[in-house]
Amino acid sequence: MSSTEPREVRVAASDLPVPGQILVVEIRHHRVGLMRVGDEIHALADRCPHRGAPLCSAGEVVTDIQLAADGSLQLGAADSLIRCPWHKWDFEIATGTCQVDGQMRVRRYAVRHEGSDVIVSLDSPPKAGDVE
Amino acid sequence: MLIDCDVHVGYDSLLELLPYLDGPTRELVQHSGTNGLGMPSYPWYHPSGWLRKDAYDPDTTAQGKQIPGQTLATVRRLLLDPYDVTYGILTADEAAAFSIIPNGILGAKLAAAYNDWLLEHWLQEDARLRGLIVVAAQHPEAAAAEIRRHAGDDRFVGVFLPGGARVPYGNVIYDPIWKAASEQGLPVAVHTHFDGVGISPPLTSAGHPDTYAEYHVLCGSGMYGHFTSALLAGVFERFPGSKMVMIEGGVVPFLGYLWRLDADWKACRTEVPYCRRLPSEYVWESVRFTTQPLETPVDDDALWPVIKNLRPAETLMFASDYPHWDFDEPTQTLRLLPEEIRSAVAHENAARLFRLSAPVTA
Repeated sequence: MSSTEPREVRVAASDLPVPGQILVVEIRHHRVGLMRVGDEIHALADRCPHRGAPLCSAGEVVTDIQLAADGSLQLGAADSLIRCPWHKWDFEIATGTCQVDGQMRVRRYAVRHEGSDVIVSLDSPPKAGDVE
Repeated sequence: MLIDCDVHVGYDSLLELLPYLDGPTRELVQHSGTNGLGMPSYPWYHPSGWLRKDAYDPDTTAQGKQIPGQTLATVRRLLLDPYDVTYGILTADEAAAFSIIPNGILGAKLAAAYNDWLLEHWLQEDARLRGLIVVAAQHPEAAAAEIRRHAGDDRFVGVFLPGGARVPYGNVIYDPIWKAASEQGLPVAVHTHFDGVGISPPLTSAGHPDTYAEYHVLCGSGMYGHFTSALLAGVFERFPGSKMVMIEGGVVPFLGYLWRLDADWKACRTEVPYCRRLPSEYVWESVRFTTQPLETPVDDDALWPVIKNLRPAETLMFASDYPHWDFDEPTQTLRLLPEEIRSAVAHENAARLFRLSAPVTA
């Protein structure tokens, strides 16, 4: 790996994933999965923190099933979770947090917009919000 | 060196076995049902998928197909090559159902066809692969004949029985299976599968579970029944040289049952005269366990003080359960065990049991 390789990639607006899709890009041999939740694009490492599975390149985006206060079942935010291909643990796409183990978090990467394109870098995202 | 004792493979459709069946059975299989014979399966569906999502291609898999066949190329790419697996012991997927359908004669025919299919499509295609002979346990005489049919073929290293069964495997009706296996020097591998399905009774006497999650927590219950049955029925006395492997029943529960077995044997031994010694003594000599699903307490350090009592340096063998959703990755599984026993678990115990030597390299 050369340190002169760029630390970021540009993704054209037309290539960006729609909700439910995952686009995997490679930055300096790091595979990064791009996903859209609502209007926002998020970038997560293609590695599950549980057992190292290829989270983004083989996982799937799903919608949570939640128990409401009145005892009814409801759908969570649409397409807001990514499910690991191996052990089926779910992670919140926007934060990387694991739904079943509070100690686990998928590595997130910074995403910013330049015009209609998106730039994904190996930097960590800002603490509040992914998109500049 | 790594020996994986639980690698599932299977066909896409039962109809793939047609070339290996006799004419009448072929005719029956082809014309049964709506589009050919199907096997019973679980009444509980895994809520997020039976298989590792990267082990098959969802885009080309027909909607509704539950266990898409595993290709040799995929098994090589995802398991054998990256983990440098020296030997992979192939275990049945749907084919385990041949043992829990009511028609034992049909089950025996299907089992024989499956074994021939396995030989042609897998065992002779990759020198790292070894098979377990699938039999129809509900037809013990036919099962024994199937075991003997493969006598001397070292590509088969054991006999496969599912956890689901009409009665526990120590029962005398199964004597022909134990006799044939011990005569051939083949361990009998009992693998959690189809417990509570087909002709097997409910998973526990509490009745059928409501959900897959409930089922999966309890799915080893058949294994504990077979374990207890074989030990107290004196299988290891009556059929000298018999070996038994418990695959996918976990590790910790067996220890609890073994402690109870020893304690109860002391009071009840006159009822089970063929079990002449403490059950644990037979276990150390003749029973082996596989790692997956290795229990995962919140605190990793809590595991070893418990499972060390099962003498894992002698009894435990690595298994991944590829390509199922609860696949145990080799490196991370072995890391949970003390370094001094890792090679025993990774390959030595399995090599001894299955009589596998280090492969000859050029």
